[in-house]
Amino acid sequence: MPLSRRRLLGGVGLAGAGLAVAGCAPASAAAADTVPFYGAHQAGISTDAQDRLAFAAFDVTSTSRADLVALLQTWTAAAEAMTRGAAVPGDSTSQEVPPADTGEAAGLSAAKLTVTVGFGPGLFDGRFGLAPRRPAVLTSLPALPRDDLDPTRSGGDIAIQACSDDPQVAFHAIRNLARLGRGTVVTRWTQLGFGRTSSTGKGQATPRNLMGFKDGTRNITSDDTAALDQHVWVSDGSWMSGGSYLVARRIRMFVEPWDRDRLGDQNAVFGRDKATGAPLTGRTEFDTPDFHATNADGSPVIPIDAHIRLAAHENHDGLRILRRGYSFTDGTDPATGDLDAGLFFVSYQSDPAAFVTLQRTLGTGDALNEYIRHTGSALFACPPGPGGAGEHWGQALFT
Amino acid sequence: MPMFRSRALAGALSVGLLATACGAATTPAASGTAVQVALSDAGCRPTPATVPGGPVTFTVTGSGSGAVTEAELQKDGKILGEKENITAGIDGTFALRLDAGTYSMYCPGAKQDTWAFTVSGAAAQTAAAQTAAAADLTDATATYHDYVVAEVSALTTATKAFTDAVRAGDITKAKALYAPARVHYESIEPVAESFGNLDPDIDARIDDVADPTTWTGFHRIEKALWDPGQGADNSLAGMTPMANKLDADVATLKGKVATTTYQPAELANGASDLLTEVSTTKVTGEEDRYSHTDLWDFAANIAGAREAFELLKPALAAKDAALAQQLDARFTDVTAGLAKYAQGGGFVDYTGVSGADRRTLAQSVNALAEPLSQVAGKVV
Repeated sequence: MPLSRRRLLGGVGLAGAGLAVAGCAPASAAAADTVPFYGAHQAGISTDAQDRLAFAAFDVTSTSRADLVALLQTWTAAAEAMTRGAAVPGDSTSQEVPPADTGEAAGLSAAKLTVTVGFGPGLFDGRFGLAPRRPAVLTSLPALPRDDLDPTRSGGDIAIQACSDDPQVAFHAIRNLARLGRGTVVTRWTQLGFGRTSSTGKGQATPRNLMGFKDGTRNITSDDTAALDQHVWVSDGSWMSGGSYLVARRIRMFVEPWDRDRLGDQNAVFGRDKATGAPLTGRTEFDTPDFHATNADGSPVIPIDAHIRLAAHENHDGLRILRRGYSFTDGTDPATGDLDAGLFFVSYQSDPAAFVTLQRTLGTGDALNEYIRHTGSALFACPPGPGGAGEHWGQALFT
Repeated sequence: MPMFRSRALAGALSVGLLATACGAATTPAASGTAVQVALSDAGCRPTPATVPGGPVTFTVTGSGSGAVTEAELQKDGKILGEKENITAGIDGTFALRLDAGTYSMYCPGAKQDTWAFTVSGAAAQTAAAQTAAAADLTDATATYHDYVVAEVSALTTATKAFTDAVRAGDITKAKALYAPARVHYESIEPVAESFGNLDPDIDARIDDVADPTTWTGFHRIEKALWDPGQGADNSLAGMTPMANKLDADVATLKGKVATTTYQPAELANGASDLLTEVSTTKVTGEEDRYSHTDLWDFAANIAGAREAFELLKPALAAKDAALAQQLDARFTDVTAGLAKYAQGGGFVDYTGVSGADRRTLAQSVNALAEPLSQVAGKVV
């Protein structure tokens, strides 16, 4: 080997240079394909939204605080490895034991995998001595208008959100963490998301939701640190400082009746033009909606029950949330044969009350309600990011 | 699913992340001599490097770049104990009973990957202790042989009582004797599965056989007793040949297990296979789809797995006390979960167990099966 390398480099300069470039390319490609795991905030919140989601909520079955901490240590180490594109640490070659990593992501890049953890209100119920550490705002979300929640798709003690541009990489993360958790946690529910419905990066194109509309046009973007600090990150000096509250809502869309709705009404329901994404008072997607504009007959151009009007920060004293949802489909509704599809809504905010305020308005007045139903709901406190090697998820909560 | 696939019984073994995680939680207070092993890119120097013979607990601590993440105590190239997945801030321990001799601490990837470790004491004890450890496993496999022989002997008797009732056309009695006979088969099923057609002849479900007209065994008679088919009354007509064949197949099994011997890893893998049986056919209610006596088989699978585990436990505990302790606790969890459904000398009809309760049972089996899958690597 050394001989041929010398021959190449010395004897054929051009080929040698070519080889060197080729040798570097995979490394830099890999780096561009990974999102740093450590930091003041967990990755996967303000990170540019990846294309795919795998989400799981777990219940803790062990009553031992030590088991819980050990699990978080194990999970942190495994998640950190997977976000580098590496296998779950451990022996995956011995013939006598099952491989430590399940293997389906071997050969795939990390594809910008992020793994984000959150703690549900149930974790603070006294089993683990955490009751005194429960943030006052971390309680089950109140009953909200038009809720039709399935308890088997709601709640949970711990959440894992895995996002990646490769669906198999995201699934692999959830599957392996579930496996590592056996005996300490059980999976309560899971949700796959096949396409992002929000942009959280300045350069990202706005994707469309399953209703065919651009979604997340006015979202908080990763470069808007002022908005992130004001609306997303907790900064109360507690163990949650640097963290954020995750609201997950499984929103079933009745796509069949929606698809039969005339275009003019679809536009009126959202308050935007379906083709361009522009508000009904503007010409291009990023034009600021004018909620005061009226038609000749005095009626508002953006209807009084339009989705964007009811969700707008202008109409909620500046209140904003970071949306990070994904489209899903779970096959067909056995009762009707209709598609069971919709939006797995995920939002991050510094106080869950922000979501509650918005949903109280939307749940009662939104024209969209005719075509959607909230079927799952959960709230999780996502701690700050592990600062570096050796620190585990939520370490400040346990010390 | 034959139990005893040929396996390369390599020395390599894995603690695995799970064992690491839960081991940290359940490791008992360290006893014996404490040895610190500071893992770094440079190496894994044990401190102290010489200790007296007896119990030794190694505490492995991580630092450095993360390139070196495991430490193994070896003797003559064989791994005696190890801890993996050590990174900065995540420590691990393992405990061994060591006798006098020269050992080495090995940490792959380090600048110096092998470090001397010496245990002082009389050399005579070393040989004696090594013999003792090997004797533990020899005892385990011999006792397991005796257990299988005893179970198949009980199976022979219980099956004869069942088949006598079948031949007599006594439906009520045959129904009552069906599940009690089967438990002696379910407890050792992976052994039976190693003998070619014997397991399908005794225990196949209707969808396991290519041609239903050649279907024999317990489940064939089960169907006649509980679900003879559309419009038909329960009847044992035509079941006498089935009863005779079942007796004959069980007698063949008895002859085979009398001379079968086992390797330690086979005990461990057989226990894992029994839990796979539980997860794939008992929890689902497929096994006894007509009689709904699935929980009898479930409990027998667990009992058979526990027997194998208990026999391996002394050898396992010497190598990985935390894993042995964790398995003890999880066997107890599963058994306690099953006990809720005990009725008379057996169990309730499985159709009376709700979906949510079945899920809880399934989860407790998964929680046990995951660490159990690590045992084979420890006892080879």
